[in-house]
Amino acid sequence: MINILPGIESTSAALQAERVRMAVASQNIAHANTTRGIDGKPYQRQSVVFESVMAKTEASFNGVSPQKVQVSRIEKDTSGPRMIYNPSHPDADNAGMVAMPNINIHQEMADMIVSSRAYEANLAVVRNARSMALQTLNIGKR
Amino acid sequence: MSAGMRPAALPMSPQDMIAKIIPGDELEKLSSSVLQSGAAMPPSLSPVSGAAAGTGFDGFLGHMVSEVSAKQADAGAAMREVMSGGAMPLHQAMIAVEEASVSFQLMVEVRNRLLESYQELMRMQV
Repeated sequence: MINILPGIESTSAALQAERVRMAVASQNIAHANTTRGIDGKPYQRQSVVFESVMAKTEASFNGVSPQKVQVSRIEKDTSGPRMIYNPSHPDADNAGMVAMPNINIHQEMADMIVSSRAYEANLAVVRNARSMALQTLNIGKR
Repeated sequence: MSAGMRPAALPMSPQDMIAKIIPGDELEKLSSSVLQSGAAMPPSLSPVSGAAAGTGFDGFLGHMVSEVSAKQADAGAAMREVMSGGAMPLHQAMIAVEEASVSFQLMVEVRNRLLESYQELMRMQV
């Protein structure tokens, strides 16, 4: 296969990883008020850990094969729940306190902005790779 | 839906186009006659003396066309999977489409250069 867009493999992997991070952030935002998760306890914030892997390609920069980024694992934030006083809530304990998920919506919004900016940056790489290829093809035009 | 129907949204690959214009057996005859005429030439005049058929410039061109065709088929399959709600992420489909389009433009550029040099030769005064 001819490699027409330079470095597209790692960019594509990074886009995929950022999509996963976005999905996890949106899941955290969606569960900001979930007092009963699948295990019966309040939902716990999840965060994404990225890792780099060797790309399976014959293309290399001076013998060094390019590295791709991928999501290695999605970890649970094990910090304690946020306790709020709401005696009318069905999940309130005897003291009227409700255990809410350990999610700070502002932090999630900031994470989402970081993720979307990183996605944008990778898209800019794709755009530039494309315009480099097209400009190279313009050598032939007269 | 009949099995032979092709979705209208999918672009036709160059090989399909050629196959549509020239029926399969005709194409076979045509290419074999081209090869024979090449073999009939004296060795000094044949474009690829000593090289096996298909490894010369014609082989290279054919390889390029089939590569571009494969890229377009990949892009079509990726887009189809996105549209049918498959596991294919959108950016990968878009990158596949972009690669197909750029490599197609590369092929067109090579064709333009070839044609240009041919016309240059035809304009030559003798």
